[in-house]
Amino acid sequence: MNAATKKWIFLKASSIILIPLMVWFIFNLVYLFDKEYFEVLEFFSSQPSKFLMSVLLVFAYFYSSLSISEIFEDYVHDVNIKGFANKALYFFAIIIPLITIIIIFNLSL
Amino acid sequence: MEDKNPLSPHIQIYSWNISSLISISHRITGVINIIALTLVCVWITSLLFGETNYEYIKFFFNSFFGKFIIVGITWSFSFQTLGEIRHLIWDLGYGFELKTSKISGGLVIFGSIILTVLIFLIGR
Repeated sequence: MNAATKKWIFLKASSIILIPLMVWFIFNLVYLFDKEYFEVLEFFSSQPSKFLMSVLLVFAYFYSSLSISEIFEDYVHDVNIKGFANKALYFFAIIIPLITIIIIFNLSL
Repeated sequence: MEDKNPLSPHIQIYSWNISSLISISHRITGVINIIALTLVCVWITSLLFGETNYEYIKFFFNSFFGKFIIVGITWSFSFQTLGEIRHLIWDLGYGFELKTSKISGGLVIFGSIILTVLIFLIGR
């Protein structure tokens, strides 16, 4: 199996996982966004939300980094700029969800 | 050696139709969604700074711009979700006929607007 096929399979698998998680999240976002501090804290402190939000973040950043690297492939001509952009993309796709998941698991009422 | 291959998908020479519109919009909403999710990470992080400091976040979300952002994110997530379902159906080998492709493209556009309204009606 070549790299492009693996990338395609990873993209499809992560999109199947993401669809229900995105629906779950967007309903909760619309409900929560203007609520009081303790109501928002209670949501993110609950065990199902911690787990689902962490899975969402991991797969969303994974999926997005693969998708955006395809955009770089299509529109960025310079090999050096493309290489740098991809490295920066993968760095942030790891570090942002990692820090946020650590924060989520440290939230408590 | 300099790579002289043209970059795809030649948006400057496309004859615009519903499929190309959905294709480029799918990419744009994908980028918007990851920016939105990063803002959600900032929102979650702000919970660490206590109730008093959270008032600034609440003030932003209650402003016209804040509400506009939430509606925009909801539409963008809806569009991406429906677009991804369309892609998955294609991956199963269905919906490639020109007429079907135009209909499914229209369903993604109008469906995302209807879904946004439904999410607000149910979620609020």
